[in-house]
Amino acid sequence: MQLLRVHRTFPKLKKVITRRYSQALQLEENEYTDAPVYPPIIDTSLEARKLRIRQTLHKKIQEINTVEEKQIALNMPRFYGWQSIVLNDNKVPFNAMPLVQHYTRTHFQSIDKLPEIYAKSSPIADTIVQEIKSCIEECIATENEGVERNIVTSLDKPEKQQISDAHTKNIVKQINRIILNNLTDKVSHILSSQVDYDPRHEAFWFIGSVDLPWDVRKWRKKQKWYKGRLDQPLDRPVQYIGSPILTIRNHLPLKPIIDHSEAENPDFKVPKFSHIPESVGYFSEFRHGTNIPGFWPGDFDEFGLMSFHGRGHILDRSESFGPEDNLEALHCQAIKASFGWLLAQASYQGFTTFNDLTYPLVTQTVLTDGHLVSFYAYQLNTIVMHNDEVDSNPKHNVCFGTKPLELYETIENGKVKGLNEDVLKMLVQFYLNAPEERDHAMKPYLGKEEQIIADIEDDNRRCWLESRYKHLVANRPKHFLLPELYDWEKIYKIKFNTRFFEARRRPFEFDINPFKRRLDDHLPPYIPKVLRPYPKSRKKFETTYYPNV
Amino acid sequence: MKLSNVLYRQHVGFMFKKHWAVQGRRVPIDTSIEAKLKAKGIPVEDALEFVKEKPEPRERIEIIGKYEQVKPLDENHPDYKERPCLTLKNTSVLLEGISQAQVLTKSIIAEDKLPQRIEEMAELSAPKAVHEGVKKAILSANVFDCEQKKLPKIKDAERPAFNFPRILGISDRRKNEILTNKLLQLVEKSNDAEVTQNKYVVNDAECHSVFDKDGDLIKFQDVSGILVTSNKPMKHELNENDIPFIEIPDLYPVKHTVTLPPEHFYSENSKYPLRPSVSKKHPHTTWLHFNRTEVGNLYETPVTPTQILGRSLTHAFTVASAYAKQLHGEDVKDLPEPIHINCIQTDGQRFHFGVFELNTLNVDGTDGTKNVWYCKNDVKLYDSSRYLSGMPVLENYNPKVYGYINAFYNC
Repeated sequence: MQLLRVHRTFPKLKKVITRRYSQALQLEENEYTDAPVYPPIIDTSLEARKLRIRQTLHKKIQEINTVEEKQIALNMPRFYGWQSIVLNDNKVPFNAMPLVQHYTRTHFQSIDKLPEIYAKSSPIADTIVQEIKSCIEECIATENEGVERNIVTSLDKPEKQQISDAHTKNIVKQINRIILNNLTDKVSHILSSQVDYDPRHEAFWFIGSVDLPWDVRKWRKKQKWYKGRLDQPLDRPVQYIGSPILTIRNHLPLKPIIDHSEAENPDFKVPKFSHIPESVGYFSEFRHGTNIPGFWPGDFDEFGLMSFHGRGHILDRSESFGPEDNLEALHCQAIKASFGWLLAQASYQGFTTFNDLTYPLVTQTVLTDGHLVSFYAYQLNTIVMHNDEVDSNPKHNVCFGTKPLELYETIENGKVKGLNEDVLKMLVQFYLNAPEERDHAMKPYLGKEEQIIADIEDDNRRCWLESRYKHLVANRPKHFLLPELYDWEKIYKIKFNTRFFEARRRPFEFDINPFKRRLDDHLPPYIPKVLRPYPKSRKKFETTYYPNV
Repeated sequence: MKLSNVLYRQHVGFMFKKHWAVQGRRVPIDTSIEAKLKAKGIPVEDALEFVKEKPEPRERIEIIGKYEQVKPLDENHPDYKERPCLTLKNTSVLLEGISQAQVLTKSIIAEDKLPQRIEEMAELSAPKAVHEGVKKAILSANVFDCEQKKLPKIKDAERPAFNFPRILGISDRRKNEILTNKLLQLVEKSNDAEVTQNKYVVNDAECHSVFDKDGDLIKFQDVSGILVTSNKPMKHELNENDIPFIEIPDLYPVKHTVTLPPEHFYSENSKYPLRPSVSKKHPHTTWLHFNRTEVGNLYETPVTPTQILGRSLTHAFTVASAYAKQLHGEDVKDLPEPIHINCIQTDGQRFHFGVFELNTLNVDGTDGTKNVWYCKNDVKLYDSSRYLSGMPVLENYNPKVYGYINAFYNC
């Protein structure tokens, strides 16, 4: 009787309650095989189970179709963003080289002349240098003495650094203009390339094998299930944020400097740096991980050729750091900038920090202040360096870099004295390095028809994902303030239980960690009754299209 | 966040502080003892006079800080002048727009007419790859650039109190910078190296021009987004007889100096960004950006189309006159040879082309030698370029604009 009443109120319940026993009649005919087939034996230890959970997550991210959804998927576990170690491009602390090398898994090789693949363009470069030599001399002299500029500085950065960077920007624009204009008729890839000023470069990845922060260790000590694995390392999210002066990009990638198989060469050693990043001078910040190579997904020219960076931050370094560390700081800046840009480019090809590159990517980086120029060629071979892979991944990234070289000796009476043609030639060779079509699949982990959000056919889903993605990567402050444990609560409620008579309302009184919240753990926008579809709709909330990971 | 809610929950210290604050302001009760003592002839003295010593006057200490102290804007400021200077900056516009600009610069206008050579060269068709490049540039400026800055507030006239969510996107300054720079790069790339070698490109070049008009001192301060200069002065073959109206308009009842605020802190010299020693200093084409969020009327009314056109004329005049003053000295009036300059103004979508001929810097009255302004206004590069329901869109690309830009560069 009671069941009947229930059925009347919820008519659909009948369909939900199925009769299990009726299925027993359908016996499978092929239930028996000749040889016994056993299910695979799986390790049931806690660590193995956890590993399998992580691996399925990585697999799920790999199977997502579009670039933007993969980026959202990387951020799914954290509603308030990852507490990421922020690597900036305009500040390098003392002795940061080991950390930067470990975090980017980069082997650095100091060179005096460019790697072998540049040898082919040497004779053309010589003639071009002769053609543009006088123009370059003139533009350097003009920029230094001939143009009156009003440089506005802000208070957030050292004044010297800002003035130096502004000056560098002007010279780099001039030199780039002269070389591009000269090369357009001679090489075909220049006309189709795009030049960007001050683009936004951001990259996000996970790094393993870093010591635990003290507060995590303190928390683990209190948990009984962490007994015996107190010091188990943790994935640390890393975010690179930078803005080069000028970048050039093309729709084709550059040729690899070394063969992809060479990436596993054990000679390429990367020092392990397991100390916490705060010990060097890199700090963390809550933010959603972003991978942005200077343009949104959908732009045709998605491979970088070269980028120019200022080196004004060297002026702000303490004198006691010494020239050797200043040189290392330049190397660090180049490694961070190259890796960051390439990783962001790779993420637009569908790779993430959990799904490794299947082919190498190359970029060229120039650090300059208008007078001193250093050249770097960087090959990205691997981007997987999270905790499970950091020790077993045989591949390393390679960076070839020169010392800072003088472009000219002095400027006297408005004339440049002693222009160093070798340096100019190296620069021209960077421009001459032509991108090439590769004969393998460039986007193996992206869908066939849907590669970016704009390809999605469902209007609602496309619009929702587009706005969600842009909102996520904007990292704008939340509408509501972040959850916080106030000092008075810590004193009067936690340390000394003076308010035992009060009702428990705050999360810490229920042992809830408010930061342990997934990105989709929120109420979707409410649909007012008047806006719901006619005639009758019980759907109160709008649909969300978060990736299923 | 309002802190009081949290602080009220429990904070003994605040209660104490409040208590002290209240008690500290207590008024002493008059015990009338003073009057009684005085009546008995006993002298009463104020206790505070014994406690308090008068503070010695201290000299102001000049502290050498990280940054130079900004001097107060008063009569001792080195730039202070008694005579006010009526200043037009690149962030403001003239009230009467183009006609006021005409009076101020003493120019006559050839409407919708450019020099014959430019019109001919603009007809030449460019290769397809170049137009592809222009389309890329438009998309990259409007859609694909990753800047995410707060855009201006959205207002609905129907419900003015409604607060829309702030949208993040590409600011109009950045849009203009990207578009104009990429267009110029394309023009230069598609030209021969010999042509480009004779030109020089400066970004954000600032020009100041100070002149007298009918007894008022007037200063134009302008910034070229891009200033293209060349190694020899540019010459156009112009025929003034083509111009139908050679009258300068009468602004009555408005005075021509309206919306030029007087300033007392200024320098009396004109300024041209390139020094005389530079060989490629002769101005060729100046690109003016119209950033809608930055440029506005003094009285906060929306900027009208004629005001935007007026900007082109004053801008071209500023650059040309600053150059003329560098060439011939500060007091030059009628120029021995006219100076020509091209001007392209854009708000990222509409392009206003103009050619300015500077004949005289004597702008008093409306008679005598006049300057000439040839212009072709309101040419649209495209109809719309944005994300339309999640997809990048470029509608109705107009290939003619590139022709004009190319012609301006080559003449």
